[in-house]
Amino acid sequence: MCTLSRQRKGSIHELVQMILRERFCHQRLPEKPVGMESQHKHLLELLRRTAVHGESNSVLIVGPRGSGKTMLLNCVLRELLEVKDVNKNVLPVHLNGLLQTDDRIALKEITRQLNLENVVGDKVFGSFAENLAFLLEALKKGDRSSSRPVLFILDEFDLFAHHKNQTLLYNLLDVSQSAQAPVAVIGLTCRLDVLELLEKRVKSRFSHRQIHLLSSLSFIQYLDNVRSQLSLPQDFPDTKFYDEWNDSIKTLCEDQLVVDVLQSHYNSSKDFRSLQLLLMLALSRVSASKPAIKPTDLLEASRVCMVDSKANILHGLSILELCLIIAMKHLNDIYEGEPFNFQMVHNEFKKFLQRKSHSIHNFDKPVVIKAFEHLQQLELIKSMDSSTAKIQKEYQLMKLLLDHSQIMEALQKYPQCPTDVKQWAMSAFG
Amino acid sequence: MVRYFTRLRVRRIYKWGGRPYIFDRKLKSYGFDVEGQEAVTTVTPGQYILIEGNDDEYPFVAKLLKLFGDESHKQKKALVQWFLRLSEVPQNKKLLLGRSPHPQEIFYYLGRACDDEINAESILGTVHVQHVPEDTPFPEPGTKDTLYVKLSWDTKAFNVLDPVLMQDTSASTPPKPAESIHSASKLSASKILSAKRRGSAADTPGVRKKLQLSIGASECLYLRIRNYRAAAMKRRPIVRKRPIVRKRPIVRKRPWRGRPEEEIARPPSGPHTKRPARRYVWLWNLLDNTQELISDGDDDCFVPSKKELQSSSNEEKTDSEEETDSEEETVVKKTRGRNCKTSVRTPHKTPSKKVTPSTPRCATPCIPSRTVPARQPGNILEEARARLHVSSVPESLPCREQEFQDIYNFVESKVMDGTGGCMYISGVPGTGKTATIHEVIRCLQHASDMDEIPTFRFIEINGMKMTDPHQAYVQILQKLTDQKVTADHAAALLEKRFSNPAPKKETTVLLVDELDLLWTRKQNVMYNLFDWPTRRHARLVVLTIANTMDLPERIMINRVASRLGLTRMSFQPYSFKQLQQIITSRLNKVKAFEEDALQLVSRKVAALSGDARRCLDICRRATEICEHSASHPSSAGLVKMSHVMEALDEMFSSSYITAIRCASLQEQLFLRAVIAEFRRLGLEEATFQQVFVQHRTLSRVEGLQPISLSEGLAVCQRLGACRLLLLEASRLDMLQRVRLNVSQDDVLYALKPVRD
Repeated sequence: MCTLSRQRKGSIHELVQMILRERFCHQRLPEKPVGMESQHKHLLELLRRTAVHGESNSVLIVGPRGSGKTMLLNCVLRELLEVKDVNKNVLPVHLNGLLQTDDRIALKEITRQLNLENVVGDKVFGSFAENLAFLLEALKKGDRSSSRPVLFILDEFDLFAHHKNQTLLYNLLDVSQSAQAPVAVIGLTCRLDVLELLEKRVKSRFSHRQIHLLSSLSFIQYLDNVRSQLSLPQDFPDTKFYDEWNDSIKTLCEDQLVVDVLQSHYNSSKDFRSLQLLLMLALSRVSASKPAIKPTDLLEASRVCMVDSKANILHGLSILELCLIIAMKHLNDIYEGEPFNFQMVHNEFKKFLQRKSHSIHNFDKPVVIKAFEHLQQLELIKSMDSSTAKIQKEYQLMKLLLDHSQIMEALQKYPQCPTDVKQWAMSAFG
Repeated sequence: MVRYFTRLRVRRIYKWGGRPYIFDRKLKSYGFDVEGQEAVTTVTPGQYILIEGNDDEYPFVAKLLKLFGDESHKQKKALVQWFLRLSEVPQNKKLLLGRSPHPQEIFYYLGRACDDEINAESILGTVHVQHVPEDTPFPEPGTKDTLYVKLSWDTKAFNVLDPVLMQDTSASTPPKPAESIHSASKLSASKILSAKRRGSAADTPGVRKKLQLSIGASECLYLRIRNYRAAAMKRRPIVRKRPIVRKRPIVRKRPWRGRPEEEIARPPSGPHTKRPARRYVWLWNLLDNTQELISDGDDDCFVPSKKELQSSSNEEKTDSEEETDSEEETVVKKTRGRNCKTSVRTPHKTPSKKVTPSTPRCATPCIPSRTVPARQPGNILEEARARLHVSSVPESLPCREQEFQDIYNFVESKVMDGTGGCMYISGVPGTGKTATIHEVIRCLQHASDMDEIPTFRFIEINGMKMTDPHQAYVQILQKLTDQKVTADHAAALLEKRFSNPAPKKETTVLLVDELDLLWTRKQNVMYNLFDWPTRRHARLVVLTIANTMDLPERIMINRVASRLGLTRMSFQPYSFKQLQQIITSRLNKVKAFEEDALQLVSRKVAALSGDARRCLDICRRATEICEHSASHPSSAGLVKMSHVMEALDEMFSSSYITAIRCASLQEQLFLRAVIAEFRRLGLEEATFQQVFVQHRTLSRVEGLQPISLSEGLAVCQRLGACRLLLLEASRLDMLQRVRLNVSQDDVLYALKPVRD
């Protein structure tokens, strides 16, 4: 009996994990995009007109990373494809500036996705020039009323603007401005100055429609969003657990500690993706023995999210390496951020050994060099001159990529740090 | 279709045969009734002939009406009645046919634009043309080498051909001489093939020489044998399929190429061997693999039936094969498979070639058609939107009357005179350059349909629509002749086309859009484009378009700029009145806008760029806003000022300020820190490290928990991704330099607390 119920509980928690993880990680589309109703309507209308009336259009969706550009577009496409007339009538073509890095690849991909007649299986035949001519010919043959509308979705639109002569953009936008097959060119980008990247002819052919996704989300809405993100859907099988879980989420969101954590996240960024990462980390602590998310879970997750990566690296250094870092810090103080070389650091370190050190004995120079190189590999210090080959290793100019506060914080947390090292670090000048 | 076989040089010899008689007219010209071509093909008036043209694979077809020469016997002329292949019909008129053409179909030409007097030395050979009555179907495609004529073409429409036009030949045919035994009707399949092959191997007329039979036999022979060998290999697959009747065992151990003189001495049959001329003829027979043996003189009463001809020619072929490569047999066998594929001539545009999965290069480019037809505009606003779309072709093109007239006059005069010329047109984007030229061409085409000016061809290329400047040649050639070849080859073919005189040439009007993209280091593409029109026989008018007025001076080297000439025109940006007129004429009485709203749009656009596309797009957006703002789509009224204002705002206002307002607190703080650091340094640039110190201080002042360095970097990167900040490469970490992409005032304005 007991094991049975535990198993049931376990499976319920697996179910919860599954539902919520899918929401956080697989970018499941929400029922309705939040806080972007007007943009949603605008885009839907635009694409609907392309699909139903065969009107060619071009539009840019601009917004910071994680502001929901792709989500909005996917929601609109989902909604569009639910319309009966549209369903079989549009040909979406998805391109990504990070994948299609030049026009040759992009053209092949377009041809493949459109499944034109020069595609056999998964291969596209013909040279670059032939492909371009073929595609343009195909689009030219179409007309507004009889051929299927093509939706060109260009993710990372700004990268397409770096292609040679912007041939692809010119041609797509030219088709959208002439009486050929109906197309809709939808660009997604996070660059606000994307229009300045376009060449003047290309720019003239672009319709200058921009949909900006700049969330003016208030903190209250942010909290609401967190709650709805964590809540279980209505069709959850176990109603009792559903109620319990949703109640616990509600109380969680009212907890002062949680509100503080979320506030600091909200202050840092309104990006949904980072929020989902935070919630994901909190969610992963839920198990059969811990049936709900506790405020401390969220706090811990936030600490993981916000942790300073370099301070973490510092914790793993040896005492010698730490000493070198402190020596560099002093050099930075003395010479006001001017670059230093190994010899200077070594001298500084030797001075410390002679005058103040009790716990640390002398190291051989090769050992110190090794430690120094290790720091360089960790990119805690960075060589200033580009041509490394010519100068001897000891005299290469370096800069420290650490802030004072980071060093001090790391020293505080460093396990069993010798007191004289700590004092040396805190003293004003070496 | 790309073809790469090497051009084989063939020399043809033209000689008059028969008795010359003097014209009725007082002219001192002689008429000759027979002309010998290649010593064996005999062409008589009334026969259908192939004439060397631009397309080697498809020579021109005509009926020979008369042959005559001038007093000095230097020039041999011919009077012909032209026939057209469908590929010679202008692209836009092909649809008039209303059905798919038969691959072997030709049309009786009734137009007047073509010169019907040709140089007799461009005749390649004879061909069989058969008249098919209007309502009977075309014969089975089995007889591939006969051309069929059903309709006539008078440069405007296809008409049913009056059968009388086709019949009158037999009546007026003069008495044939002995040699004319194989008239057109008796030509075997292989004969035409060989004629075609010879056509394909035809040299430029400049190289061709008249040769007397007696001279340079060995020299010619060498060439011909090579030619023959190539031909034999090409045709082998056909031969192999048929049963071979060998009548005469052949014992030859050497291939021909080596010792032509010796081989000549061996005739196929005894009586014909003695005269060198005969020998020569016999050789030609072998080369052509036809039945021409019989035309050799004595046994001219023997007229073989088609079947016999076939077998005899087969025999010839096999024989000659044996002769040529008895030693090389094995080698050839190895390569045979490939040879079959590459060299068997398949005519393009035959239906059998279309769309098989393994031959993607013949795929037809098209977008699948939709299942439900597009919906027509429902209300006034939708109607207005459809009319305002840049793609919709307006009934008339207002505001460019002067430019239109200038271009029209230019092109018209060139077409009328049959000369060539260049014109350079510049103007900022969206000022109607391409649209005006298209309008001009439309008008001219109408005029040529009305028979006011000679017919011409219009082709268009766009520098942006090709991957490489040299593709321009390929595209021009493809649009002119439907051939697909490589860039180098296309350049050579175009060069030949535009520099040589050719019969039946109409003016070509070439529009080169986005000229600056055709720039290469050597500028040879531009050079050729501007050089061709200056050739005497080119009849080419080149209209070029680019954005900058001083393009010729800036990027062209002297010899290119000089050829471009000084015929230039520049399109000024539209004034607000013109823009208003454009919108009004597009709307054409569809009442959707308030007058003031239109004026606002046009004034705003005229002040900014004068780009008509922009103007139309804004109007279109305004109609959408109007529709959305109304409670019910059908109740939406006219587009008002407010709607237009909103549309203008959307399109022209910069989004930086909104973006800063919508940024998170830390991001805003970072921007303030950037400005604070700039002020402190007195520079417009600072490293992240410096800014971060400021940021930390500021957050203490604001009473916020200072963020860690990693998080600060993330904030900085986010601002950089939006391009509110300009950043160096992120691997520099905290040493990367930061600059603002917005003015400091804008940032401060945006960060001011909004009172509401």
